[in-house]
Amino acid sequence: MSTSKIEIRNLTVDYIEKKKNFTALKNVSFPINDGEFVSIIGASGCGKSTLLSVLEGINKPAEGEVLIDGEKVNGTGSNRSVVFQHYSLFPWMTTRKNVAFGIQQVRKELSRTQRLQVADEFLDKVGLSEFRNKYPSQLSGGMQQRAAIARALAMDTEILLMDEPFSALDAKNRIALQELLLKLWEGENSENKKTVVFVTHDIDEAIFLSDKIVVLTSHPGTVYDIVAVPFERPRNREELIARKDYAAFRSRLLSMFYHDIVDRIGGNEVVL
Amino acid sequence: MTIKARFLRMTHIFFTILMLIQLLPDKSQKEVCTSSLIVFAIVAEAVVIILSFLIKRKESLSLTLDIFGFIYVFLTVWTLVTAKFDLLNDLLFPAPGKVISQFAEDKTVILTNIKSSVGIIIQGFLLAVVAAIPLGLLIGLNARLGNAASYLTKFFSSIPPIVYIPYGIALLPTFRSVSIFVIFLASFWPIFAGTMSGVLNVDKKIVDSAKVLNVKKPAMLTSVILPASLPQIFLGCNQGLSVSFILLTSAEMIGARDGMGYYVKYYSDFGDYTRTITGLLVIGIVVIAVTFLFNRFQQYLLRWRK
Ligand SMILES: Nc1ncnc2c1ncn2[C@@H]1O[C@H](COP(=O)(O)OP(=O)(O)OP(=O)(O)O)[C@@H](O)[C@H]1O
Ligand SMILES: [Mg+2]
Repeated sequence: MSTSKIEIRNLTVDYIEKKKNFTALKNVSFPINDGEFVSIIGASGCGKSTLLSVLEGINKPAEGEVLIDGEKVNGTGSNRSVVFQHYSLFPWMTTRKNVAFGIQQVRKELSRTQRLQVADEFLDKVGLSEFRNKYPSQLSGGMQQRAAIARALAMDTEILLMDEPFSALDAKNRIALQELLLKLWEGENSENKKTVVFVTHDIDEAIFLSDKIVVLTSHPGTVYDIVAVPFERPRNREELIARKDYAAFRSRLLSMFYHDIVDRIGGNEVVL
Repeated sequence: MTIKARFLRMTHIFFTILMLIQLLPDKSQKEVCTSSLIVFAIVAEAVVIILSFLIKRKESLSLTLDIFGFIYVFLTVWTLVTAKFDLLNDLLFPAPGKVISQFAEDKTVILTNIKSSVGIIIQGFLLAVVAAIPLGLLIGLNARLGNAASYLTKFFSSIPPIVYIPYGIALLPTFRSVSIFVIFLASFWPIFAGTMSGVLNVDKKIVDSAKVLNVKKPAMLTSVILPASLPQIFLGCNQGLSVSFILLTSAEMIGARDGMGYYVKYYSDFGDYTRTITGLLVIGIVVIAVTFLFNRFQQYLLRWRK
């Protein structure tokens, strides 16, 4: 038995296409410990969403397996909540109803009023109180994203799977939601932390939030490296950025992130 | 909106013209019932003025006024070519006042006929809705079954429902039950096909989203698949509803003892074209009213769309 919360083993994922199959992920293995905050970074199209889709249980691997609490993942489960890259609210439900509907699926004991109350609480946390009676089509992209985040957080599951959840947000909202996420991840006592798998393009975001960062390479997606984030918590954003070792750590990650592009262009430094 | 925008509109000029031409001498030898037309036009104008007070949105007000404007112009031309200049055969083309007074005279008969027709439509259509939507949902959920069913549906919906009438008459005891049966068949296929295509085409993102929320089967059907397919279901319903009217009026002309189709057919057999035209116009108004209400209902249920 493994001791990790999530165990990803020799995962290969194919997309079936007309002529031949397309291998999106090849031989991906790494463990995620209970209560760990893990970020996945990598170039666009390298298979980050694909990896999450297997963890979510909506995509089956061609080879390998994913174990959660020692059990093989075989479909979706109520121990996980998800923020998709494409938000995916139900267009016929108001923002509030969307969040309440998510809560209803995992916390059956709550009454309708209680569900709506929890929904309102989380919509308030993501700054959408005023928009709770609007339909998704009446919200901006960033607002829809925040509503989807509110839904996932309100479901209060052991595992959170988030695919670039802050990509459509402005700097202010992004920082506020990062703080919120950290607070909810840690929970009331650090005994029962949630386990978070977080996909992002933003290296600073990954460093600020994570315990561990998994760097993927493209075509097919494989694990390039797994790096533990050496900065103790709680982290202060300004202090962190000012540190010398932060800059060194960041550029190390950056060079991993861009190594395949750099290789292709011919080894010149990529200006960012 | 300014008072000018609200009350100084072309529509009122058209109304005035309509009133003024009534002063011209009648050339037609037949009864033209100018007073009925005047009463009708004044009532219409009163409605316009009340609506001008009530309607808030500029576009809705313009639309309402334009529609009434068209009605006034239409009545003006109609009056001129019949009563005033007698350009048309006055047996085939009664003056508008005549049609209006005929309507007033036959009010009770017409109302009973409307009730009978609309009642049959509602019964047949609702039966189709109640049968087709659940069946379409269940069959559509299974992609393989759904695909096979779509081909069968294509076959059945390609049979013009009117040809079911003779068989229906052999099968069922009363004209009413035949009509309900035929309308049921005619609405069933488009609603069933719409529901299935709705279910088969639900966005994968939506389904995935529901799956990761662990929505259980029954809720998946009622809270996710059904609302997601609703736009397509309504497409089918609209199609069914418009076919229903065509069918029913045709059926009524073949074998009924009441209903609007019967009214039109009966009097045209006697050469009473005033009543025939009255019947035609009433059918038009009833169809518009029913479709309007149904559209309102649809807009309400689909209010979440852009
Ligand atoms: N449904 C699909 N059918 C076929 N190929 C797919 C499908 N989804 C993804 N792919 C392919 O798999 C690869 C990985 O896609 P994926 O969406 O996982 O990338 P990603 O890392 O999440 O990218 P991004 O950062 O742009 O979101 C891509 O090359 C893509 O073309
Ligand atoms: Mg992605």
